[in-house]
Amino acid sequence: MSDALISSLSAALGAEHCVAGDGDLSFRGTRPDAVVSPGTTEETADVLRLAAAAGAVVVPWGGGTRQRMGGPLSPAGRPVLALRTTRLNRVLDYTPEDMTISVGAGATMAKFAAAIVPNGQMFPVDVALPGRSTVGGALATAADGPRRLGYGTFRDLFLGVTVVEAGGSIAKAGGMTVKNVSGYDMMKLHLGGLGSLGVIVSANFKLLPTPRAAATIACHFDALPGILAMLDALHASKLVPAACELISAEGGEGFGLCLLTDGLPQAVERHKRDVPKIATQTGARDSQILEGEEHAALWARINDLPQAADLAPDELVFRAACLPSEMVATVGNVLAVAKANGATVTFSARALNGVGYFRLRGEPATLGRAWKSLAETMPAASLVSLGAGSPEAAPSPWGRMPGGLDVMRRLKREFDPANVLNPGRFLV
Amino acid sequence: MNASALVSELRALVGERGVVVDPDALMTYNADGCVMDTHAPDVVVLPTTTEQIVAVVKLAAKHGIPLLARGAGTGLSGGATPVRGGIVLVTSRMEKVLEIDRRNNRARVQPGIINFELTAILKAQGYHFAADPSSQKACTVGGNIANNSGGPHCIKYGITGSHVLGVQMVLADGSIFWTNDGTPELPGYDLTGITVGSEGTFCVMTECWIKILPLPEATRVVMALFTDILPAAETVSQVIAGGFLPAALEVMDGGALKAVNDAYKMGIPPEADAALIIEVDGVEDGLDDLLAEIIAIAKEKGAIEVRPAKTPEEQVKVWAARKNAFGAMGRLAPTYHLVDTVVPRTKLPAIMRDVKRIAKETGLSIVNVFHAGDGNLHPIVLFDRTNADQSERAHRAVEEVMRLSLEYGGVISGEHGIGIEKQEFMSQLFTEADLAAMAAVHRALDPDDLFNPGKMFPRKFEANDLASERRRVAEAGAGLPALMAKHGDKLWV
Repeated sequence: MSDALISSLSAALGAEHCVAGDGDLSFRGTRPDAVVSPGTTEETADVLRLAAAAGAVVVPWGGGTRQRMGGPLSPAGRPVLALRTTRLNRVLDYTPEDMTISVGAGATMAKFAAAIVPNGQMFPVDVALPGRSTVGGALATAADGPRRLGYGTFRDLFLGVTVVEAGGSIAKAGGMTVKNVSGYDMMKLHLGGLGSLGVIVSANFKLLPTPRAAATIACHFDALPGILAMLDALHASKLVPAACELISAEGGEGFGLCLLTDGLPQAVERHKRDVPKIATQTGARDSQILEGEEHAALWARINDLPQAADLAPDELVFRAACLPSEMVATVGNVLAVAKANGATVTFSARALNGVGYFRLRGEPATLGRAWKSLAETMPAASLVSLGAGSPEAAPSPWGRMPGGLDVMRRLKREFDPANVLNPGRFLV
Repeated sequence: MNASALVSELRALVGERGVVVDPDALMTYNADGCVMDTHAPDVVVLPTTTEQIVAVVKLAAKHGIPLLARGAGTGLSGGATPVRGGIVLVTSRMEKVLEIDRRNNRARVQPGIINFELTAILKAQGYHFAADPSSQKACTVGGNIANNSGGPHCIKYGITGSHVLGVQMVLADGSIFWTNDGTPELPGYDLTGITVGSEGTFCVMTECWIKILPLPEATRVVMALFTDILPAAETVSQVIAGGFLPAALEVMDGGALKAVNDAYKMGIPPEADAALIIEVDGVEDGLDDLLAEIIAIAKEKGAIEVRPAKTPEEQVKVWAARKNAFGAMGRLAPTYHLVDTVVPRTKLPAIMRDVKRIAKETGLSIVNVFHAGDGNLHPIVLFDRTNADQSERAHRAVEEVMRLSLEYGGVISGEHGIGIEKQEFMSQLFTEADLAAMAAVHRALDPDDLFNPGKMFPRKFEANDLASERRRVAEAGAGLPALMAKHGDKLWV
């Protein structure tokens, strides 16, 4: 890496925010030549400008909890800068009564929550490891949470964005209002884009009131067919649970179907009455109402299950998506493939949405085989993280490819003609 | 290509009845609901199949003829005005519901289906499509998606974009693909998301997967009457801040109330000068208590009367009055300009005061009917467009509302889109770099500017010029030629 680049970055950011040859960070094997931590949007733009001029590659880095997502970095011999958003962590604009907020990309999800909770407000996307995951990283990886059933995902609540594009141009889109059709909805391209079109520096969100009451109904099933019957019955009912999570039971015996109900106290009572009845009718072994700390602890555990930061060497985590009606079959398929390859599975699936996160453990070679087989057969699947001992030369981390790849390639080349941002990581 | 050759090619593609060339008939397609500017198309084509759309797009692309796809033309921003002539492709003969998949809460529809008809079909199955613009009796689902046009229920159910799962899109090169089918978050860029609200500027939609939702178990609607619009707006602000999540919070001011009262014989007392419509829904349990709390807030703010609509029939009547308020404006003045802006929700009372002042200063009547719960205002400036002085004052009033909305931290459109009506205001909301990023999207998808050209971007920019300039700077900044020389194709491996 050229000393000239380091010294110009140091001049722009201050020497303490530009560290050459940092040993801590790694992108599935590639270590950055320098780690830079801009403190403002303008400094972020300086980094992108200097990187472009020097022909360096930039990898945006938030909490680092999902950095093993996507393909391996392919810098093509160019120097690699890790751009840490840690210092871009302030709440930028927040009038509680408007129920919208603008927050820096480097703020952790926990810090974001801490700003709004005292005002009786919530942001209902429950990202794994909230104390470490950042707003920008959660957006770039399109993280979701169990309560998407009741409240949606980032896609529904992401009102505005400021990004720094390759070359250092600062572009914003959207705004601070809950409705807005002024121009293209650029937020959609950056959401889940792995920072391949721009570095997210701040984001605006719609907030919701904290529900007045909440409880869990945890149902225990011995086998998947009963769960399918219960999901069908729930779907046909007028009940409106905020989450419905199918999880592998602790100890490996059977399955749990955990419903989160929240809102008006009377509505919560109604769910506490009706859901156990449906469970009994569809063959649950038992069901249990959890409230207070037990309720909170269960959901904290479920929220963290997809975490992709701390993996055993013989572990891989992937996400599978399908139509909601296919979720139970998808779980069955993963369990069968894992068993055939001698791997164990823990999982958490948004059972009425069609998204599941699966943790497989086993011999690296068999894990690779299992993943390949699943990626080829499932409607949509992507690797979220690989343990250190997992096969680095895993097949495509993206599973089956979506439509419109050509358009996606054109978008990437239009925004980032020199492929500076996260080259190789995204699917185009 | 000369005009008659184009017409015969189009006739060969879609049949005699699917092509309109009569000059009088073409005038029908010279604008949407925004009559700021009109321009007749050279030819109108009404395809009946996806294959025909692909063929028409290919033909237009081959000869470089602008192509504008439109639904019912109920838009209010000029999005469907063919400012550069060319072909207007009307989706009204593609109006089928192709598939209803209740278990997956989705339906596959053609773009020309009328929102209201879709709603009726879904209702029979116990479902609804959450997007219900006031023009729903006439507007098409394709138009709703192209403009991301909302309606009263966005406050709880979110914007239209949240209810579009995937689109089948045709690009200028004739390629056609589905962006998604309702599978949550496929890998890759969210092409569904960027297409919603793109105002037909880079593709034509041929089919769509939309999200459908089971009808709630129970719904309550109440209309609260006030002697002034400000307490109504304050009630809205307090309900939002109080952590309620109503399904709709709609305000009508005295002018609108009078117009709909005359039209619907609602027996509104003369002292009422504003109405707030409150809807809550969900499971039956607790709903009445919730409503009672909201009514208490309205009364505390000075509501003079609270009218519950208990039966579904009564509820339909309240909503019909609200949604047909725009139609009732015809009773008040020959022309109106309906402004669509959004402000942060706490700024509603302030901007309502401003709108009153603007009416006074310009000497024009301004009527307000709006989605208060979202901060989405719709001042309706009444005037006579044959009177030049009135037209000029109306224009001033509209500009002032736009300027103030921006000053309060708001945006220039909440649900009507930019089209031609607001393209010049884009520069007030966005920097050139912001616009260039949008232009880059446009160029990636529609490099020859075939679809609905001359829209959304300020007139001084051609979208593709802006994108080219942006790319030139990006490539130079990145030293792309030197990088390519050194690393070659490896840059993209």
